[in-house]
Amino acid sequence: MRFNTSVIFDVFKRYDFSFFGICSTIFFIGILNLYSATQGSPHMASLYKTQLAYFGISLAAGMAVSFFGPKNFYRYAYTFYFINVFLLVIVLVMGHKGMGAQRWLVLGPIRFQPSEIMKLSVVLGLARWWSKHDTDRELGIKELIIPFGICFVPALLIILEPDLGTGLLILLIFFVMAFYRKLKWKTLVIIALIGTISGVVMYNFGLKDYQRRRILTFLDPTADARGSGYNAIQSRIAIGSGQFLGKGWKKSTQASLNYLPENHTDFVFSIFNEEQGFVGALLLISLYIVLFFRFIWLASSVTRLFDAVVSVGLMSIFFWHTFINMGMVMGLMPVVGLPLPLMSYGGSSLVTFGLCCGIATSLSNSRNLF
Amino acid sequence: MFGEDDVVRSHKGRLTLIGNIVIFFFLIIIARLWYLQIYSGKELYRYSIENTLRKETVKAARGMIFSRNNQLLIHNIPRFDAIIIPQYLKNKNASVDKLAQILKMSSKDIKKTLKKNRGQAKYRPVVIKKNISRKEVAIIETENFKMPGVLVHSFISREYSDKEIGGHLLGYISEISQHQLPKYRKRDKFNYKLGDFIGQAGLEEEMDLELRGDDGHEFVRVDARGRVRKHVSGSEIFSDVRNRKAVPGNNLRLTIDRDMQITAYNSLEGKVGSAVAIDVNTGEILTMVSRPSFDPTQFSRGLTTEYWKSLVDNTKNPLRDRTIQEHYSPGSTFKTFTALAALEEGIITKDQKVKCGPTFKLGRRRYHDWNRGGHGLTDVYKSLKRSVDVYFYKIATQLDIDVLARYARKFGFGSKTGIMLPRETSGLIPDREWKKKRYGEDWQLGETLSCSIGQSYILATPLQLAVAYAAIANKGKLYHPYLIREVFKNDGEVVKKFSPKMVSQVNVSEDSLNAIKKGLYQVVNERKGTAWWYRGIGIHMAGKTGTSQVKSMTSKELFSKCEEMPYKDRHHGIFVGYAPADDPKIAVSVVVEHGCHGSSAAAPVVRDVITNYMKKYHPQTYNKFAEEDKKALKEFWKKEKIRKDKIKKAKEKEKLEKEKEQAEKEAEKSEEA
Repeated sequence: MRFNTSVIFDVFKRYDFSFFGICSTIFFIGILNLYSATQGSPHMASLYKTQLAYFGISLAAGMAVSFFGPKNFYRYAYTFYFINVFLLVIVLVMGHKGMGAQRWLVLGPIRFQPSEIMKLSVVLGLARWWSKHDTDRELGIKELIIPFGICFVPALLIILEPDLGTGLLILLIFFVMAFYRKLKWKTLVIIALIGTISGVVMYNFGLKDYQRRRILTFLDPTADARGSGYNAIQSRIAIGSGQFLGKGWKKSTQASLNYLPENHTDFVFSIFNEEQGFVGALLLISLYIVLFFRFIWLASSVTRLFDAVVSVGLMSIFFWHTFINMGMVMGLMPVVGLPLPLMSYGGSSLVTFGLCCGIATSLSNSRNLF
Repeated sequence: MFGEDDVVRSHKGRLTLIGNIVIFFFLIIIARLWYLQIYSGKELYRYSIENTLRKETVKAARGMIFSRNNQLLIHNIPRFDAIIIPQYLKNKNASVDKLAQILKMSSKDIKKTLKKNRGQAKYRPVVIKKNISRKEVAIIETENFKMPGVLVHSFISREYSDKEIGGHLLGYISEISQHQLPKYRKRDKFNYKLGDFIGQAGLEEEMDLELRGDDGHEFVRVDARGRVRKHVSGSEIFSDVRNRKAVPGNNLRLTIDRDMQITAYNSLEGKVGSAVAIDVNTGEILTMVSRPSFDPTQFSRGLTTEYWKSLVDNTKNPLRDRTIQEHYSPGSTFKTFTALAALEEGIITKDQKVKCGPTFKLGRRRYHDWNRGGHGLTDVYKSLKRSVDVYFYKIATQLDIDVLARYARKFGFGSKTGIMLPRETSGLIPDREWKKKRYGEDWQLGETLSCSIGQSYILATPLQLAVAYAAIANKGKLYHPYLIREVFKNDGEVVKKFSPKMVSQVNVSEDSLNAIKKGLYQVVNERKGTAWWYRGIGIHMAGKTGTSQVKSMTSKELFSKCEEMPYKDRHHGIFVGYAPADDPKIAVSVVVEHGCHGSSAAAPVVRDVITNYMKKYHPQTYNKFAEEDKKALKEFWKKEKIRKDKIKKAKEKEKLEKEKEQAEKEAEKSEEA
């Protein structure tokens, strides 16, 4: 009896609550914001309840994962990876029977996007590869071929869905992880140069104006290809009108007019800024930065290379989502449709971020095991 | 595990760098936030309060369509709708009442319309009444300040110069429907939106992507009533706001001649049918009309229910393009090809005379000639001139259906011509294989007999007939029929050019072809030819009449008067001709549904169209021919007079002789007495 209680006590003493703590804080700020953003339209007014339910699910899933040891992640990394790629193929095959972009997989009552979990699987897969290969040297082009394949296959499948945003995100995550695994500076410059130049040249000169528009429509049929950035402009007005202190909670004028059609998913940050102002935004951003540095610190304190690479990978998932979402909402980059972690409405992404926290917590807990 | 610790530690440098990069990236975010919220916060705040920014679509002007002589067939004129933008509606009831009063509608209806569109975003306009008059426009514009949110929306409407004439050919445009939207987006890879007008028939449909142009948009600042105040561009915060100019659609120059269209349409007055004229030497379509027709303008202006009902309820189906979407038994017009096949296959020679009685007996069945008396000795010329059925029955007993089908297909029958118009039907040329597949039965010789005179399973569209006869006229050169000469931009730059395209050179001997042409010439230009009375003046036409049975008839019915039968049972009248006979330039086919005779119903239409063509394009030839014809006519009447006089004289002589006889008899009687 005494033995048992001490074990449970031990577990809790060792348990790292920091990841779940920070994430929950951001989530609850998000749920308040979501509540405010959706009050304008009656059919969305109860979305916050659904979001709370998703939170419960993802917290449970994350917690469950946090009790697996890191060795399990290592052992099943490739298995997860291949299953997930297989699911992506299934989505593509079934998607052609449906209409428009098909990103969902339906399993009985559960609907989920394999492309969301794919981010995690890529991180684990890459981590396993890099923890066993080329650990003693810097990475050049030759060493990058297989890891790039690991991330490129799912990225391509996702781009074909079509979901350009998530596909490119996986490439960016790969880039950060490779950089951590000592990507040679020379190689980095070459990759960056080739990437930018070919991208810019293709987009600006390789295509005619109408082709460009067609490609955009093809990649994202929901985008208003003919109305360059009406959403983005309204979003900027929303953000700017918040000024220093914001209009106050539930006082958004842009949300209620439906100027922002996606104000509960991709554009939550503009509503938040409108209501909470510059001060509120700084606070939220600080929370995110604390979260990122928690991951970075984890990467520096673990003893196994696999754990460290995973930490950096998880960090980059959060980081790119946050940066790209904020950037597109403020008009710094094109609207690609990525959610803001823990703030945007959506079950699949919330579960993914919950799992990220779970893995990180598991890694953190295992440090004190010897 | 020893050593791995060190490996991890060796990555510390990179980790620090990553941390710095994260910080740097978020400094950019914060800088941007500062710029938006602090630096330009006040101005953006004002925007958000007034909601002053609106995006307006600038509709692209749809391309115009010209005739071959650059006369406008379709053009665009401005039109006005009364709209309400719910977002700006301040005092709903008062505004709606006022608008109702101006438009002479009930406020209830307006509210109903508003309610129907409640689901869409509030800044989206709701159309209250389409096509308001200039007077209503003026009143709304001046009273606008009393009813914020009520506006006039002006845009461009499509007008068809000749209304019903050629309605099928030109087609019409109307709003894209819910179920068309996803289909067409996929088909054209073009981001259509609800409310977009698209071509739904004819050239408007076929050439939609050329004609439609590309809509633009512009951002405008509006005041609290929703009235446009200022165009925003170049403002600092919205430096990346890009207005996009609308790109007008391309224009079409057709091969169609407008005058001939009108002539053909008027000539078909009171008839149900169609006419197709084709340039024999190029394949250019000169005329293509179908009656009854519809007014395409009505569609682009928002169809009224009454007009739609009148179209749908009409049993004569005005929406169907009878030139390509309807096929008929070609009747005797098909004999031309049977005769050609027989000559080529050596079944007959051109001067060989065959005895043709009133009927032809095959097994137990009797096949009747249209002429109850029969025709006597007949050669190939006479067979066409008098349309001798029995002559062809006799040929058919030796001509295999598969061979006949092969010849027919050479002239384009049985498959689509590929003209640039939607929903063309292919017609039908039967053969053994087809029948086996379709009915699971073997071919019967009796069916070949029917097919040889263009009845039974054979079906052809008026366009196919015109194309095939053009090939006959043009030494067997089969041309692809086309409608568009060029596609050009508003500044005159030619985008696409279409030129004559020969499909094939039909492989038949010139000798046979000339024999056929001689026969076709006699049909029109010799006495007792079936179209002799409709030969016209100055055109020297050649051609073939056809009467196609709508249902199979007993011999009694067959010889009863067609005009006395119920409308639905009357024969179709067909005539296909070309002119001038010795140097053909134009071929015309006309089908008049239930017109009874090819000669009286269809031939006059062909004559009118060709006369119009000759007068316009070859006036010298026309005048020359006309003089010849008039002279010939005079001579004919002179001869006729002599002939009649002779008959008269003979009769008088007879009479005199009789009188004489009687007088003599009487004299004898009196003598006896």
